[in-house]
Amino acid sequence: MEVLKQLLGRLHPLLVHLPIGFIVFGLLLQFLDRKKKDYAQLIPIAYFWGGISAVAACITGYLQYLSEGYSFESIKWHLWSGILTALFSFLMYFKLNGAKSFNLLNKMPIVFLSIIFLILISFTGHQGGNITHGKDYLVEPLPNNIKSALGIETFEAKEILLTEDNWETALIYEDVIHPILNNKCVSCHNPKKAKGNLLLHAPEEILNGGENGVVISDKNAAESDLYIRMNLPMDNDDHMPPEGKTQPTKEEIKLVGAWIDAGNPFKGTIKDSGLAKELFTSFLPKKENNDYPNIEIKPVEHDSIIAIEKTGIHIDQINKTSNFLSVSCINKPSFSDVDFEILLPIKSNIARLDLGSTKVSDNIFKKLATLPNLTILKLDNTSISGKNIEQLSVLNNLKSINLTATNFESEHISKFANFSSLQKIYLYKTKVLTTEIKTLNEGQISIDYGGYELPALPTDSIVY
Amino acid sequence: MKDLIDKLIQEKLAREAEAKTRRHFIKNCAQGIGGLALSSIFAGCDPLSSSPKKTQAAFSERDLNPLATLAPPYSSKVKSVIYLHMAGAPSQLEMFDYKPELQKFDGQDCPQSLLEGKKFAFIKGTPKLMGPQAKFKQEGESGNWVSDYMPHFKKVVDDVAFLKAVHTDQFNHGPAQLFMHTGSARLGRPSIGSWATYGLGSVNQNLPGFVVLTSGGNTPDAGKSVWGSGFLPSVYQGVQCRSKGDPVLYIKDPDGVTRNLKKSTIEAINKINKQEYLKYADPEILARINQYEMAYRMQIAVPEVMNINNESDNIKQMYGVEPGKESFANNCLLARKLVEDGVRFVQLFDWGWDTHGNIRSGSIDMGLRNKCREIDRPITALLLDLKQRGLLDETLVVWGGEFGRTPMQENRGNKKMAYKGRDHHGDAFTMWMAGGGIKKGACHGKTDDIGFSGIEGKVSVHDVHATILQQLGFDHEQFTYEFQGRNFRLTDVEGEVIKEILA
Repeated sequence: MEVLKQLLGRLHPLLVHLPIGFIVFGLLLQFLDRKKKDYAQLIPIAYFWGGISAVAACITGYLQYLSEGYSFESIKWHLWSGILTALFSFLMYFKLNGAKSFNLLNKMPIVFLSIIFLILISFTGHQGGNITHGKDYLVEPLPNNIKSALGIETFEAKEILLTEDNWETALIYEDVIHPILNNKCVSCHNPKKAKGNLLLHAPEEILNGGENGVVISDKNAAESDLYIRMNLPMDNDDHMPPEGKTQPTKEEIKLVGAWIDAGNPFKGTIKDSGLAKELFTSFLPKKENNDYPNIEIKPVEHDSIIAIEKTGIHIDQINKTSNFLSVSCINKPSFSDVDFEILLPIKSNIARLDLGSTKVSDNIFKKLATLPNLTILKLDNTSISGKNIEQLSVLNNLKSINLTATNFESEHISKFANFSSLQKIYLYKTKVLTTEIKTLNEGQISIDYGGYELPALPTDSIVY
Repeated sequence: MKDLIDKLIQEKLAREAEAKTRRHFIKNCAQGIGGLALSSIFAGCDPLSSSPKKTQAAFSERDLNPLATLAPPYSSKVKSVIYLHMAGAPSQLEMFDYKPELQKFDGQDCPQSLLEGKKFAFIKGTPKLMGPQAKFKQEGESGNWVSDYMPHFKKVVDDVAFLKAVHTDQFNHGPAQLFMHTGSARLGRPSIGSWATYGLGSVNQNLPGFVVLTSGGNTPDAGKSVWGSGFLPSVYQGVQCRSKGDPVLYIKDPDGVTRNLKKSTIEAINKINKQEYLKYADPEILARINQYEMAYRMQIAVPEVMNINNESDNIKQMYGVEPGKESFANNCLLARKLVEDGVRFVQLFDWGWDTHGNIRSGSIDMGLRNKCREIDRPITALLLDLKQRGLLDETLVVWGGEFGRTPMQENRGNKKMAYKGRDHHGDAFTMWMAGGGIKKGACHGKTDDIGFSGIEGKVSVHDVHATILQQLGFDHEQFTYEFQGRNFRLTDVEGEVIKEILA
């Protein structure tokens, strides 16, 4: 008997669709038939079977309630409205069949009844859906701003805001650990949806653990479920967060582990916790070291690029997120100082300029000084001697100059000390006599004179 | 959905066009003539038969200039890649992965727990562990381990970032090489170099964007597919150049053919080919048109760039080149020259690293030393040379094999082998990267005490690919090509950028 009860109970989610179908079908027919009255005989049949199946749904629903341990409080609205729907369906059947026994009903227009019926069946169905899928099932996919406009509580991702200056004084739990758990775990482990009876939104709840016991073992991440589960391979069923959910990064997992090892402090700053800086570096803002200035710039006219490329000069956008350009004369070895005028329409956008193996001379420096955003400059394999190179010191973005295989002379090296952003100078195969000055400006600028050698070793000639 | 169907139909038409051969042509002619005869009889019966066939083929800008450069989607750290592949799989245990503990177990039986569920190419029964045959030392400021098989390499050890726990799921050369270069152990996927040139084009219009150089007396076991273009247009496949004799075969004009005559010949052929393309829309015709034009431009540029005789004696000595011969040293110098001239992807294969211990040249204590000597100086020189020319900032150098080798001595047929050797092993092996955006002197990943498996910082072949693409300015998850109704990636559905070795 118990088996039958359970089995029938489980049929409820299936059976409920029958009355919904019959009744909505009936309502639709009523609407279509409102003028012609072609289907007057058909509509009551729909409601009759709607009523029969609604009774079946009510019975199975009640059995399900009995066998699956729902509290009456959570299903009462669904139960009463379900019974009401079944009754209403029969009522509509009798009314449309012209039964005269209900005087009260005769006075009510059929349209009014139909509208009430539509509301009733929708309400009942919705209540049932809420029991099965949870209250926020339908609204969950809505964007956050619409949710808050509807007065629904939203799940907000919290950002980890650490900087070079404040990371030590930031609070270990509040500013770092809490946001990680909040963004990656709390959507399933919160008071409303406590999967595995585990809550991870507040310190005391984290310590309480879940249905499998505590998730943090004192100062021992390797024994703590919170940490172990995140480290399991993706295809392990116990891996958390489950497949398909946003996964914590390697750095976040490592940090949570280190935090547990440090005795999971909920109070105090990062400095107090004694955790090493390396654990936090990936959360610090990334120092961009790009080969173009870190500013926004307007794109250049496509036509001017085409016009310049016709002369054989090669132009590339530096990448699709930046409008800076990389200009190369690799296909135009005849480029000389006078050709520089060609580049004027795009001069503010040039970040990389490769004039290697061209015919430029020391007179090019005055012109190059008009490229405000020049970052990487290649002048290798040219006849440049370095005279006038001080004119480039106005270029505040210039990071690297390549003068390999030029006539560059020693006396001009000191001029680089006035360059504000310069980091790298290449002086291999030049007329430089001594390679003593390896750095300038306290190590900010490094000079590579090249000329590396690999002296022969005895092992070079041993053949085994 | 409609786009998808259109794309599938296009692909089908392209396949049909590829299948059209001379036989079809003759068949078509026969039908055509028959049709002509009939059409005069039934003139006017079927108005459709006489209307010209409509075709949608047209030339896009990239069709006619497939190597035109494209901006990388994101900030790129490097412009070019030099990939050094040691075909046959070098032994990490004699080069970079120092395992003193393994020495203690030398000659002892390998524990059964390690062998359970593992597949080996040749090892049978219970093999014996074999200690490292090389002497190791910590070198440079980074203190990373380098063996005495690579005595020059210590000079650049602070410039490279090691990956000590790379793993692959293939244990035979062919599939493993395919996996390492195309992201799949099965044929049909484009190689990394093809993806790179497809996505970025190449700056120098007179040179191919993707050049392949081989040494060691043999080409890789997996064949040319390791530099093939897979489902990408054929024009993006690697162009194999030779360091001995003519760099590219059949590129020289025959005696008596002037450059002008050659030019007009190619122009005439390409005019016909373009008409053919408009008619049949076969992408292979496009590839052919472009290859003719590229070959014509290469006739001047390639002999120039492939000539290492003009290099200074210092440079030649540093690399240890042997002009006129096919050698890894020559190829390394060429790689630098090619990158200097704007080639996007240079792929070097050096064959002969399969040290099973069955022959002297394939032994861990002798043959491997010879192989290491052959690459030690050239690789060190390549890194130093790139550095002094300011090219290392914009070039990524990748070194590795298709897998690693076992900590156990090979016992082919359950017998003692003639020489000391190690079997194929994909669970953990070493690779390294150097160049733009790579953290100098880094060492990521760790293997267990005997070097059998990775225990920390394990990275897959897909992770290596994701990292290479990231350095070129791609997000490996977004860089796709639609084929047979779905988007394909080099990393398929896997791969994670190895941030630990990025500066």
